[in-house]
Amino acid sequence: MNEDVIMDDIPGEPAPPADAIVKTVHVPLAPDRAFELFTARIAEWWPLATHSAGHEDAVDLAIDGRVGGLIVETLRDGSTSVWGTITGWQPPHALAFTWHPALGPEEATQVAVAFAADAAGCALTLVHTGWAKRRDGDVRDRYVTGWEFVLGRFVAAAA
Amino acid sequence: MLDALGDPTRRRIVELLATSGPLSVGEVAAGLPVSRPAVSQHLRVLASSGLVTHDAVGTRNIYRLDDRGAEALRGWLDEFWSAALSRFAEAAERESKESS
Repeated sequence: MNEDVIMDDIPGEPAPPADAIVKTVHVPLAPDRAFELFTARIAEWWPLATHSAGHEDAVDLAIDGRVGGLIVETLRDGSTSVWGTITGWQPPHALAFTWHPALGPEEATQVAVAFAADAAGCALTLVHTGWAKRRDGDVRDRYVTGWEFVLGRFVAAAA
Repeated sequence: MLDALGDPTRRRIVELLATSGPLSVGEVAAGLPVSRPAVSQHLRVLASSGLVTHDAVGTRNIYRLDDRGAEALRGWLDEFWSAALSRFAEAAERESKESS
């Protein structure tokens, strides 16, 4: 289902940094339906049991579909965890959000998702950047930021 | 990598090395409520996962975070999105079939 894409082939799109994570998946839905499934109905498909702070205790994941809206995980006890903030909202073509599950916004990375119609439905392309960002150009800082990202997730999962 | 970081003591060791910089086994053990042999064992597990490495300084081994950890992180995130998007594709396939 997944394949790497060559972003240089998309006119007008700047190439992502070499360390970006780029994923493409083709689905048999028109962009408007794919966009709605990805956003308004994210709880129907997101693997919460494995991809969340609460794991088995996570009961919901919701995206508030507007610029400035939050991506929020809800746990069984009613507590919530903010994963990120919507920074771009152009249904049914694209959305972008900051991404900092289990971390503060100062450790946010950036995710952009685009939906492009193709013969069979549409292609979704996800680009995750900034996770290896340099905060002040110092390699050690970049390195530590990466570790904080990993550790934040595991510390949260273990709490 | 997930298994290596699944243990709270090992996570604490990685945190120590991330915040303090390179440390000897004794220095790591001094910061933790576990024995020095236990710390050595944890460091071996972390090293076998590519998360920490060591340099021999005189008669001591000095442990530090392995630069390959950044590569391991990228691989981990890559898998993370692959798994999530596979689930999205499955949901889209179901929806497509139901409406056709």
